[in-house]
Amino acid sequence: MGGFIQKVLMSRTYFLTLLLVMIIIIMSILSPYFLTVQNLLEITQFGAVIALLAIGQSLVIASGNGGIDLSVGSMVSLSGVLMGLAFNAGISIWIASIIAILVGVLLGAFNGFATSVIGLPPFIATLGTMYMYGSLALVLTKGTPISGFPESFGFLGQGTILGIPTQVLLIVIPVFLIISFIVYRTVFGRQIYLVGTNDTAAKFANIKVKRTRFLLFTLSGLLSGIGSVIMSSWLMTARADVGSGLELQAITIAVLGGMHIFGGKGQLGGVMLAVLVVTMLSPGLQIANINAIWQLAILGIILIGAVALNQYSSNRLSLKAIK
Amino acid sequence: MFKSYIPRPGRREYLTIILLVLQVIFFSFFADNFLSADNLKGIMQNSAELAIVSIGMTMVIILGGIDLSVGAVLGIVAIVVGNLIQSGVNPLLVTIIAVAIGMSLGLINGLIIGVMKIPPIIATLATMNIGRAVVFGMLGGHWLAGLPPVFTPIMTNKIFGIPIVFFIVLLIYTLFYYIFTYRPFGRHLYAIGTNPEAANLVGINSVKVKILSYAISGGIVGIAGIMYVARMGSVEVSIGLELPLQAIAAVIIGGTAITGGRGSLVGTLAGVLFITVMKNGIVIFGVPSLWEKAIIGLLILISVTIDIVINKQITRKRATGTPLGAEELELEIQRGD
Repeated sequence: MGGFIQKVLMSRTYFLTLLLVMIIIIMSILSPYFLTVQNLLEITQFGAVIALLAIGQSLVIASGNGGIDLSVGSMVSLSGVLMGLAFNAGISIWIASIIAILVGVLLGAFNGFATSVIGLPPFIATLGTMYMYGSLALVLTKGTPISGFPESFGFLGQGTILGIPTQVLLIVIPVFLIISFIVYRTVFGRQIYLVGTNDTAAKFANIKVKRTRFLLFTLSGLLSGIGSVIMSSWLMTARADVGSGLELQAITIAVLGGMHIFGGKGQLGGVMLAVLVVTMLSPGLQIANINAIWQLAILGIILIGAVALNQYSSNRLSLKAIK
Repeated sequence: MFKSYIPRPGRREYLTIILLVLQVIFFSFFADNFLSADNLKGIMQNSAELAIVSIGMTMVIILGGIDLSVGAVLGIVAIVVGNLIQSGVNPLLVTIIAVAIGMSLGLINGLIIGVMKIPPIIATLATMNIGRAVVFGMLGGHWLAGLPPVFTPIMTNKIFGIPIVFFIVLLIYTLFYYIFTYRPFGRHLYAIGTNPEAANLVGINSVKVKILSYAISGGIVGIAGIMYVARMGSVEVSIGLELPLQAIAAVIIGGTAITGGRGSLVGTLAGVLFITVMKNGIVIFGVPSLWEKAIIGLLILISVTIDIVINKQITRKRATGTPLGAEELELEIQRGD
């Protein structure tokens, strides 16, 4: 039994799969309507935006040097608000969506510039931009939501294809596949992990360390921009506070998925499992009538537990290596 | 052990003080009522909590850490204080309880960071969200309003025309300035912040210092909680939401290095006044207060950038004469820790 527990704790895939099964069992007991294919597929729509943010966050964390992006939620808010303003100015909603994505890229690139080029520690730079972007979103809308998007725009966030939510089938899965291909099958992808493990060694291997980290922050912005489009389509409004709290979710999922907080370790597959775990958890908490603010508290507890777990397993690994 | 190193304020702090003076001159020139006694009194009263909380923030940032949970801790303490004074508990006892609660919450942060070795930004991001939920749960959707004015005299009563709270803040600052500069504990903070490995090698128990620092920081927030109740006479669910941002900004503007090991309370006090005067100026000029967070966020980025650029130049100066590769390596090492 002790060996089994240790094996589960050491393998993130086993651990998360077991956690997922446990959550599904508990949910099925709480609600008889939970365990249907239809419902399970529908629930995935709640995870679409945070899946994108968590992928970006994971790669920023994997690139090391204290890499973290606290501004993802604010980037979603600001991109969405600018999209709404562009639409209000008479621009077609689809072009406005492209504007939102470009804004995300710009905001992410600014983070990348501040951290990688100027050399600010990521946590303080993105804490600063988190407040800046979020506050700008509020200033631009004066706090009032923008709505009145055309019906057809809702297709992205509310429609389904073969019972699968559109945003999952057409955006999240392709994005995950493309980024996984880049990370695991291209030279650039492998460089991310080397940069995260040992940036001095990476430099001597002629890897452009700063450029790598800059690109990952920009990617995080790009994914936040895409996330803001999905979010706007899903809610059919652009609100300045829509992204608040998303940074905690993204970081928690990345770490729960096995991303080691000091960089260089962790796999995107684990992160996707963690997205499922957290996504399955929130409707359950709603069924149990637990307020959204407590869900953030629970995420906080999971976050600390997950970092501790990652450190436990990497300590065990290095002990094994010494033996 | 560290006799030769006394971390006195230096040029970086003078820069903040000069900026503060320029800011005051600017606002008094463009806004007639800025230098009025009422406005200055208001600045003192409104900056008291931020000033107190920033002491603890300075401590943990010198250590190379950060604390995002201060606002949530302030909220929890203020709610307890509010409930206690409503049921007529002795003010002295309330003060002790407030500090004790603050310290215990800070201790939790300290244990997570010191013992579990979880990076401070992650640990306090988590405890901040847990704390905010606790604040929400304790208030249960209501305001805590109409509190008896037990602590209000520290805001309203005056000595030589200056609110009592000013002297309390000054006293606490003097005490901690002494600890930071002349006590072993203070030196240990700087040593750990500058080079954790070296600090361990000379026999400093960095885990103990970290736990203690976060606990003390929490205790100080407890005092700030009392000041909040004294000033506002009520507690609402959004209490302290902006506090972490403002305290971090004040400390960094005051010249404490975000990478740890450098900084002083003189600078922090100047930073606190800089932030408060700026907020005051924003109101006087009629700029929508929604801009406040954006401006403070930008100020953080600018201050940290200035520090990083100055640091690079110092390193470059030291490295003149050494081969290019070595210079770059030194830069890397500096940034690495």
